[in-house]
Amino acid sequence: MFSFSVVGAQLYVGDMAYIAVSFIILMCLIKLVAWKPVTKMMKDRSDKIANDIDSAEKSRADATKLAEQRQTELASTRQEASTIISEAKQTGQKQSDKIVEDAQNNAASMKVAAEKDIEQQRQEALANSKKDVASLSIEIASKIISKDLNSDDHKALVDSYIEGLGKHNESR
Amino acid sequence: MREPTSTFTFLGMTFNVSNMVSITLACLLVFILVFALSRHITLKPGKAQNVLEYMVDFTNGIIKSTIPDGKGRQLGLWSFTIFFFILISNLQGLLFHVDVGGVVYVKSPTADPLVTMTLAAMTLLLAQFLGVQRLGYRNHFGNFLKPFKVFFVINFFEEFTNLLTLGLRLYGNIYSGEMLLGMITSAAVKGGLGTSIAMLPVEMVWQGFSVFVGCIQAYVFVTLSSVYISRKIEIEE
Repeated sequence: MFSFSVVGAQLYVGDMAYIAVSFIILMCLIKLVAWKPVTKMMKDRSDKIANDIDSAEKSRADATKLAEQRQTELASTRQEASTIISEAKQTGQKQSDKIVEDAQNNAASMKVAAEKDIEQQRQEALANSKKDVASLSIEIASKIISKDLNSDDHKALVDSYIEGLGKHNESR
Repeated sequence: MREPTSTFTFLGMTFNVSNMVSITLACLLVFILVFALSRHITLKPGKAQNVLEYMVDFTNGIIKSTIPDGKGRQLGLWSFTIFFFILISNLQGLLFHVDVGGVVYVKSPTADPLVTMTLAAMTLLLAQFLGVQRLGYRNHFGNFLKPFKVFFVINFFEEFTNLLTLGLRLYGNIYSGEMLLGMITSAAVKGGLGTSIAMLPVEMVWQGFSVFVGCIQAYVFVTLSSVYISRKIEIEE
């Protein structure tokens, strides 16, 4: 304030009041028009950014957890699949073994039955042929006998012949 | 060398018309600038809002760098207003120079010692007020007696030297810039065509320098003010 005496000027109190008042009015107007909304918006933005960062962190953690879960699930599924496959293989092996065994058994039993059948048929055929020979011989004999029935000698001859035939047949 | 002024007296106070016009114009310019930039304020900032937010961040940064721990948060508006008022005031005289009948009506308000001293006085009163508000009367005035009681004299006179240095630094820089600019202009006008052409680059260089000085001085004023305030709002060891 001493400077004014050096400059030699008058102290204009009105100017001082005017500058003070106008500065305060300017400050109030700026506060009303710009300062409040801008600082509020800046604060909102910083809050939002902080929230976004937090939520991003959270979702990242969630994603990691989810991925881990997937991984374990995948591993367990793979194991399950391999057990299922090996079980199926075992079952298939067992079944095929059983089928082969059954087939072998079946074939063996069929073979036995067929042999038995063949033997039986052979026996039957033998018996039939024996009967046929007998009846045929009797027929032959009767034909011979009808020609010379009264002769006992012939009868004995035929009998001996038949006996010989039967023996011959048996030995064959 | 004091230029002629036109004054009037009202309620026992003398008013200088040219100062009033300059101050009003500076206030209007600052208000129009801020008003224009603060339309359509949204969460996702547009161009104007980005500029305004950069300005706000800049002045907040001055406060934050001198007053730590967020104690100066409530000074944001004050630093924003005074920085841009002084900046526009400093640059106003480089853009407009309205001279009517030998009386300059529009110039830099800060080229007048009264205006700068008033701004400095307001700042230091704000510092005293905040000191009392934060520390209480006892601690605030106790600071004058530290580190020793003898220092009261120095601390007391420091308040006045702060006022003088803060006000006169701004005034001296801006006033000298304008005065030299005026002298270059008058030399160019009086000296004929050759001198005018020779003076044009000089004028441009000095104008650029004055813009630089104006910006620096606005920054220095706010920085020093917040330093004074920061010293007032904490108890000295």
